[in-house]
Amino acid sequence: MTAVEHAPAAANRGWFNSKIFAKLAIRLGAFAAFAGILIYFALTARGFTSSYNLINVVEQSTILGFLAFAMTVVFIGTGTDVQKGGIDLSIAANAGLCAAVYAVMMREGYGNFVAIPAAVGTGMVIGFFNGLAVVTLKIMPLLGTLAVMNIAAGLELTLTENTVVPVQSDLMNVLAFGRFLGVSTLAWCLIIGSALLIWAIHFSRIGLRLYAVGGHIEAARAAGIRTGAYIYGAYIFSGFMAGVASILIVSRLSSSTPGTGLMLLPILAAALLGTVFSRRFIPTIGGTLLAALFIGFLANGFQLLGISSYWVSGVQGALILLVVTVTSFAKKH
Amino acid sequence: MTAAAIEMRSINKIFGPVKALDEADLVVESGTIHGLVGQNGAGKSTIIKILAGIYRRTSGDVSVFGKRLEQITPAAIEAEGVHFIHQDRLLVPTATVAEAIFLRNEPRFGPFINYRQMNRRASELLHRYFELDLNPRTLISELSTAQQKIVQITRALAHDAKILVLDEPTAALVSKEVESLFSVLRRLKADGLAIVFISHYMSEILEICDVVTVLRNGTDVGVVDPSEVGIQKIVEMMTNRDTSEMYPRRNVEIGAPVMSVKNLTVDGAFENVTFDIHAGEILGLTGLLGSGDKEVLNALFGQIKPDAGEIILHGKKQKFGSPVDAVNGGVAKIPEDRRAHGVATGLSVGENMSLASLGQVSTKGFVDRKKESQVIDGLIRDLGIKTPDRHTLVKNLSGGNQQKVVVGKWLSCNSEIYLLDEPTVAVDVGAKVEIYNLMNRLAAEGKGQVFVSSDLEEVTEMCDRVLVIYRGKIIAEYKRGEIDADRLLAAASGTVAETERKRA
Repeated sequence: MTAVEHAPAAANRGWFNSKIFAKLAIRLGAFAAFAGILIYFALTARGFTSSYNLINVVEQSTILGFLAFAMTVVFIGTGTDVQKGGIDLSIAANAGLCAAVYAVMMREGYGNFVAIPAAVGTGMVIGFFNGLAVVTLKIMPLLGTLAVMNIAAGLELTLTENTVVPVQSDLMNVLAFGRFLGVSTLAWCLIIGSALLIWAIHFSRIGLRLYAVGGHIEAARAAGIRTGAYIYGAYIFSGFMAGVASILIVSRLSSSTPGTGLMLLPILAAALLGTVFSRRFIPTIGGTLLAALFIGFLANGFQLLGISSYWVSGVQGALILLVVTVTSFAKKH
Repeated sequence: MTAAAIEMRSINKIFGPVKALDEADLVVESGTIHGLVGQNGAGKSTIIKILAGIYRRTSGDVSVFGKRLEQITPAAIEAEGVHFIHQDRLLVPTATVAEAIFLRNEPRFGPFINYRQMNRRASELLHRYFELDLNPRTLISELSTAQQKIVQITRALAHDAKILVLDEPTAALVSKEVESLFSVLRRLKADGLAIVFISHYMSEILEICDVVTVLRNGTDVGVVDPSEVGIQKIVEMMTNRDTSEMYPRRNVEIGAPVMSVKNLTVDGAFENVTFDIHAGEILGLTGLLGSGDKEVLNALFGQIKPDAGEIILHGKKQKFGSPVDAVNGGVAKIPEDRRAHGVATGLSVGENMSLASLGQVSTKGFVDRKKESQVIDGLIRDLGIKTPDRHTLVKNLSGGNQQKVVVGKWLSCNSEIYLLDEPTVAVDVGAKVEIYNLMNRLAAEGKGQVFVSSDLEEVTEMCDRVLVIYRGKIIAEYKRGEIDADRLLAAASGTVAETERKRA
């Protein structure tokens, strides 16, 4: 009798072990690949390890990081299953639109006190529309946010007439060139933004409940969580981050330029790649930060090695495929 | 006198044309374990969902500890101390044990969640109530079914539950786990909690419940003490046998065995299932939810691969790797969830019916449209399918007529063995009778049928022979004449008398 009762338990444990092992292998593999590629660049790409270059990459990664954080929050609140769960395809186009709003308002002489809230507000309105499409109208996120992406991209073109809108202001000089304790303002933005988000997502009640909504929406509802509000919140937060990132984009380039929408691929790659750095294979702020830096170093290394930048987007696409395949495989087996 | 923990009076609930609850009462006192029993469709889950705030009652009064509740929402009922342990384990798979227990009640340290305290308190609770030493950092997805159930109950206790409602809590547990669950429930009862216990397992009701409310057709037909009246009486109250003229008679000579199943086993679902199906026979297969009856059918149809045993059809050993093999081997299945598996609702009645039997109406790779229409029009007439014509889309038909299309689809392909999985679920009485007539016609044509149904009345009336499955094993076999609903229910609930155990 006892033998019969113990048999399933033992079988269970075996399966459990192999699953743990596979997860560990993937996670270690991800870290090893990250380290391996950095070492490779350090050995072959001249100037890669110079402090100037490293800081430059961190600065460049701030904007990608902010937008990837937003995508991560959407993933957390809606489930990481990219095909069925939530996604915010509009985020890059939204950042482009916010940048255009900011640049055009500055050109028209409104000043930062009006232009910044207007840009961030625009982002949040676009985020609200995503929430409306996904939560209220129950459109598949992949399609709903794709439609909103096109709306945002269209509005950006209408505002800028597809031209570069140059901007000058003191604040932008601080953001682009300022330093504090030897670290540039942009890098500080990344550090502070990450810290705040790590608190909100991983150490606050809101974060835990957001994970619950994304992890099993029925269970979250049964626990009395207002799931719709959380998903709306995730999309509006995503729009907020697009607005904040747009100010940094304009500061770095001293203008609003067309083509911000092209950042969607690296944003997705960073948010998805980030999941392999977590114990539970779920999106985390820390994981996304690592992944964003990784993608930044990858682009930088290619540049230094003189490889065409066109390859970078190919590599990012391949990364997305790889990560989605590996994690969905790991979840199934 | 103190107010009852739960007092639901004259509850009515109407879904469209269906009256799910008809003046039903449920009164539960503190410090008792109160059983709620009834056949499928008797209204058990409806009344519980009304209490949980998932459904809104059509009329009636609900009070909790003497406080009348007008509009019930899930959050409001939880605030009154009523917690529900749902049959599906509603837990976030990526959360840790401690997170799942304290979700929406997280201990804080300033703006931070106090994870250390949360983990410690989770360990304490698990140890105190279940004597379970489970690492509170374990992920829910890594727990066994029983452990997940325990986490759900612990969650309710951590939220200061005064009333616990458990919906089929033992369905996925093994006997040792059931016992430890029961000892916990007894302890909670001694602490003064009111516990509502919903189960199909009569033996469990007898063991744990102080009082039982029996529901039938949406009405409470009695509130009894199970140890006083006994299981037999409760089952009689549940079934109230008054079979009308619903079941058409047939007079069919049962022939030689067509299909033999020997020691068929699917690990984790059922084991050592052995039986023969004869020509012209309707063989019933019944058991409680999750007993393995449906899995047997799926294995016979090649939808799950058996781990051991064999299926012999016409004296030849068969290996059905997929439903396609089964169909080619002469086996047809009428699935339960017709929307998911049975019909293509976007296609017309005619197209659906000929899908399974294109071979019969095609010549040299072309579908013979004329022959097809003849076959289909004949079927529509014979089955009494209410449709303007064969070009009507299936999704525009009523549920019962959709089911008839499914049946018709398989009838048209001339199989030897028919596997019927709950063919009459969610169809109206008239359509049921027509489906029974069809089954009789198949029997008259000498086909063998395996009929899975949880409606014990129809099993009793329609089958030549019934096998009862309990937790994956055939524990009883009854022939026509011996079959009655009370016996079947008792056997399906695991309380078959020793003398009736299958003579193997």
